[in-house]
Amino acid sequence: MNEEENTQALSFSDYLPSIGIVGLIFSLVTFVIGLFFGYQQINSEPTGSFMSPMMFSGVVICLVSALAGLLAVWHFTREVTPYMTLGQGALIGFLTGAVIVLFSVVLSELWILIFDPEYTTKMMDAAIANIEAMEMPEANKQQMIDAVADSMAGGQSIWQQIFWGVPITGLINLVTGLIGVKVFAEKKEETF
Amino acid sequence: MLVLSLGGGLWGAEQSIGHWTGKLFENVCHQDPLRSLTVNGTPMAVNSRCFGIFSGLWMGWLAIPIIIRFSLKNLWTNWFLLLAVMLQIIDYMGNHILWENNNASRVVLGLLLGVAVAIFLSDFFQTKNNKG
Repeated sequence: MNEEENTQALSFSDYLPSIGIVGLIFSLVTFVIGLFFGYQQINSEPTGSFMSPMMFSGVVICLVSALAGLLAVWHFTREVTPYMTLGQGALIGFLTGAVIVLFSVVLSELWILIFDPEYTTKMMDAAIANIEAMEMPEANKQQMIDAVADSMAGGQSIWQQIFWGVPITGLINLVTGLIGVKVFAEKKEETF
Repeated sequence: MLVLSLGGGLWGAEQSIGHWTGKLFENVCHQDPLRSLTVNGTPMAVNSRCFGIFSGLWMGWLAIPIIIRFSLKNLWTNWFLLLAVMLQIIDYMGNHILWENNNASRVVLGLLLGVAVAIFLSDFFQTKNNKG
């Protein structure tokens, strides 16, 4: 297949395997990391430090999931075509981020539904206990506790979690998708 | 993304955690208020490093027309990105052990990474005129 055919004959279904496979793998990985740090938080004594296991998990999950856009583009260049445009990389990156959020939310809900219905409550208790142990003015503490309680006990539905999660995770993977195009894809010479 | 990362302070909220701007970033940032800059007295929705990265990306993106005059086909853009990534890792690993980073140093290093990504991608916006 020549370069011209490679870029023109693509349909959405050509993108799906890369987005789906990489998205699924990364959602599983981020779900497991989140769970690992989540139970570490639940089972640890409140330290009063902001860098709690859950905070740390946020950083790790962000860094890990940001690589998904890059790898999805790599997969696409290996399996479909080595010739890609920036827009294609952006599309693959964003949708991979969306798939990660979608499946990790579903996995979390399944975990809570099947294995540990008390997970959210235990997490909230651990987070509040940690805030209470922090050295800061009482008013600030109370504000933070209220905010945590609101965000966790408010019980975001699956749709809300997806709604809030997709845009930024998608955009970060969009950027790494663009980097992926530069690193893995071959650039078409554009003439005018 | 940069505007949203400014957090609840921009919208009159007392906290970014729990605010809709905070919800947007809770999957990607630890949102530690002690490691965040403030807007109108309210910690941003992201920490200072993430804010630096977003600012760097934005500034770098705006500067692409200028950057491409200097970066085309130069290997330094790759090395610059690698250096910026390494600096984040070194700063993250060395913090609390060898040194204590602060909001200013995190913003600067984040900014460097954001700008490095924009520079790295800049040559995509250079088109070659082969006509004639």
